Formats: sequence, C-alpha cells, structure tokens
Amino acid sequence: MTRDIRFLGRRFTLREALLLGFCATFIVLTRAALRLHFSLPGHSMFFLTFFLLMARGCVPKIGAATLVGVISGLVCMLLGMAKLGPLIVANFILPAMVVDLAGFAYPRMVRSYIACLLVGVIASATKGVTGILLDYLMGMDPDVVVRHVFIATIASAIFGALGAFMVPPVIRRLQANDLIPSSER
Amino acid sequence: MRDHTAFRQRRIRTSDYACQYMAVDSFVHRLGAGAKLLIGALLGAAAVLAHEPWSLGVVLALNAGYYFGARLTLSGLWRDTRYLLVQSVIIMGLYAARYGVPAGLWPGLQIALQIGLFFVPGVVFLRTTQASQMMRGLGKVLPYRLSFLVFTSFRFVPLFAREIRQIAMAQRLRGARLSGVDLLNPGNWRDMFHCLMIPLLVRALKTSDEVALSAEGRGFGIRPERTYFDALLAQKALPDGDRDDDAPSGSIGPQASVCGSTDRSAGSKASGRGVARRMTSREDP
Repeated sequence: MTRDIRFLGRRFTLREALLLGFCATFIVLTRAALRLHFSLPGHSMFFLTFFLLMARGCVPKIGAATLVGVISGLVCMLLGMAKLGPLIVANFILPAMVVDLAGFAYPRMVRSYIACLLVGVIASATKGVTGILLDYLMGMDPDVVVRHVFIATIASAIFGALGAFMVPPVIRRLQANDLIPSSER
Repeated sequence: MRDHTAFRQRRIRTSDYACQYMAVDSFVHRLGAGAKLLIGALLGAAAVLAHEPWSLGVVLALNAGYYFGARLTLSGLWRDTRYLLVQSVIIMGLYAARYGVPAGLWPGLQIALQIGLFFVPGVVFLRTTQASQMMRGLGKVLPYRLSFLVFTSFRFVPLFAREIRQIAMAQRLRGARLSGVDLLNPGNWRDMFHCLMIPLLVRALKTSDEVALSAEGRGFGIRPERTYFDALLAQKALPDGDRDDDAPSGSIGPQASVCGSTDRSAGSKASGRGVARRMTSREDP
C-alpha cells in the first residue's frame, strides 16, 4: 500500500507539486528565450503572468501560484538569470501572491477574460514594489521615485495584461478535455 | 600551440550572456557561497549608506577590487551592467526635470551609481559560483521537499527546451505561424498559445504523472528526512560473503540495499546495528 505523499503542509500531492515545478520551468525557459531575442522593458511579465495563472488553473488550490513563483525565482537565480540578485525572488513571489489572493477571492477567475486581465495588470504592477523599496533605500526624492516607478511599471502592466488575456481560452480547452480539474477548491 | 592555448584561455574568459559563471581560478571563486553572500550583503549595505562623494569613491573602489579580484574582465563588466545604463539615464533625466540641469545632475548620478554598486556584488556571486555549489547551499537552507521541487524544475529545463523546439517544428510543418518573424505580429500569438502552449502543458501533465510515479517507486517522501543511496554503507552492511568488491559505485549485491540519511550519525548508527535489509530510498531523481 502506498502512502499519499503530500507537499508543503499537506496541501499538494506529489503530482501537483511537480506540475507546478514544471510551470516554473516554463517561466524560466520563456524568460531565457525572450531575453535572447528582445530587449523591451517588462516583456518577461508576459509569460510570467500567463504561467502563474495557468498554474492556478491547473492546480486550483491556494498557494499554487506562490509555489511556482518561489521555484521560478530560485531556478532563475541558479541559472544566473537574476540581475537583481536575491531581489529577483521578490519579483516572482509578489505577482504570484496576487494571483493566489485573486483565486481565493474569485475561484472561477481563470475562466473569465476580465478577471484575468485585471489580475494580470495588478500582478505585473507589483514589480514596482521592489523598485520603490530600492529607490527609497538609496535615498531618492519621493517625487522622482513615483515617476521612476510609474515608467518602470507601465510596460510591465501592459505585457502582463496581454499574457493574462491568453489564459481563459487555454484553460477552457484543457478543462473541456478533462485534462485539468474544473471544480475549484 | 601557444596561439591555440591563448585562444582557449580567451574563450574561457568570455561569456555568452550577462552574469554567466566564469570558470577561472581566483580567491573569490574559492570562497564558499555563504561567505560570498555575506560580502555581498556588506557591500550592498555600504552602497545604500554611502551618500558623500568620498564614501561613494571608497565603495566603488571596494566593488572594483572585488570584481576584478575575481579575475572577471572589463568586457564582462560591461555585459553585466549595461542594462543599468538605461536606468541611470532615466533617473538622471527625472532629477534634471525636477531640479533643473546643473542642480539635478549630481543627485541623479549619485543615485544611479548607488544602484549600480548595490547590484555588483550579486553579479560577482553569480559569475563565481557554480550552479552545483548554489544547489548544495540551497539544499542546506530549504526543506528537502521544496529543494526536490527546485532541483527537479532545474533538471527539466533542457528536456522542456527540447520539447518546445520539437512541438514548434511539428506545428510549423502543419502550417502554424510560429517562426520568429511570424511571432513579431501579435495577430499570430493565438497560434503560439493554441499550437504550442496547449501541447506543452499536456506534455507537462503527462511528465508530472511519470515523474511522480518514478519518485514514489523510489520511496521518495516515505521518511521525514531526506534519504539517499550510499554504496559504501551498503558494502559495510552486507555479510562478508555477499560483498562484491568489484561492483561499480552505485550498485550493490542482491537483495540488499541501504538507505542513508542526511544526518550522517543516523546513517552510521543504522549501519552499525546491521539494519541493512529493508525498504530503501535511493537518491532522488
């Protein structure tokens, strides 16, 4: 008889945890691919929001997106893709927490275009939080901080919204084929 | 011959992308990951606290010493920090807009320099620390189930990169608009999600099933602590007659297998009691 192996406070099964790990792998891969071909600011948010929302859709449990954020941040650091150093982990975790909170508040979020768009924008905008923190640490003028963060965040929010907009059709198709659960917990 | 050696050394010291590990020997390379993180934290704090020109000069000199002491090159520094130039121009522009051109330039330059100096120790860490060394360090800090997930995700990067290439090639043969030029047009992004992402996610679902089954089959998660296969323990635990001195590392005699623990003393106690023939956990996949 096999015992059911549970992860992180008995929340996820081994299969679910591995699937979330693979979502993190996809984030890292797409980030690396985009980095080689484009130099647009905030472009990495496109696939980050897409896969965070997909993770929430594939494993509809609280904490799924945050786990993906933690793993992808750490793998990015291991692969030397973290220009911000340890701050990169915050850059992945904050959007992931927004996705989890949104999933908690509205479990059917991943099937709705409007909800995904909204979550995508908010999740991408959290990238500005690390920017604000760093700018204040350096003693930057508050007025300049606001303008700097606005410029840095606007591009991320646009790309994040675009990535999130692609989620509902993919989720619906996977659910229609019974590949992922359609009941939210 | 000398030219060839010089070419090889030059090639070793160049990098394909920013913050890539550079395999040269230096005192920074020989430091442990923890020591490098500590130095990085101290230099980062110094960059935050330095507001006067003289203190910024000192921190700049320390960072330069740390970077070049790791035998990293000037071209590498340019590759690592050029993205900060855009940020510096934005910050200086914002300060100039706020305080005027002569008055706003120094504060803008100071902040830009501070931000740059804040990141340099992190760059040195990534440039001088191998992924395996980071993994070992992470393994000590993270719970073992989480570190298993991180390392599995890390190990599957090449596999899924190959999968993406193969799926993209097959779909392009069927007429999907997935080439680099096609994807510049947002109208073709629908093809990317329907023809590439859906098969990729289906593949991920299947792979997660297979890997979970494989890990469970190897006894993953049976014990609260991480266990691994230890060939040396196995050899010690076997009766003299069953020992196979010529057995390759990692293989053991029939019927017996041994599990070790991350806690060395626990492992040796187990072998001392002769607790060898039992259900095992081999090294995590």
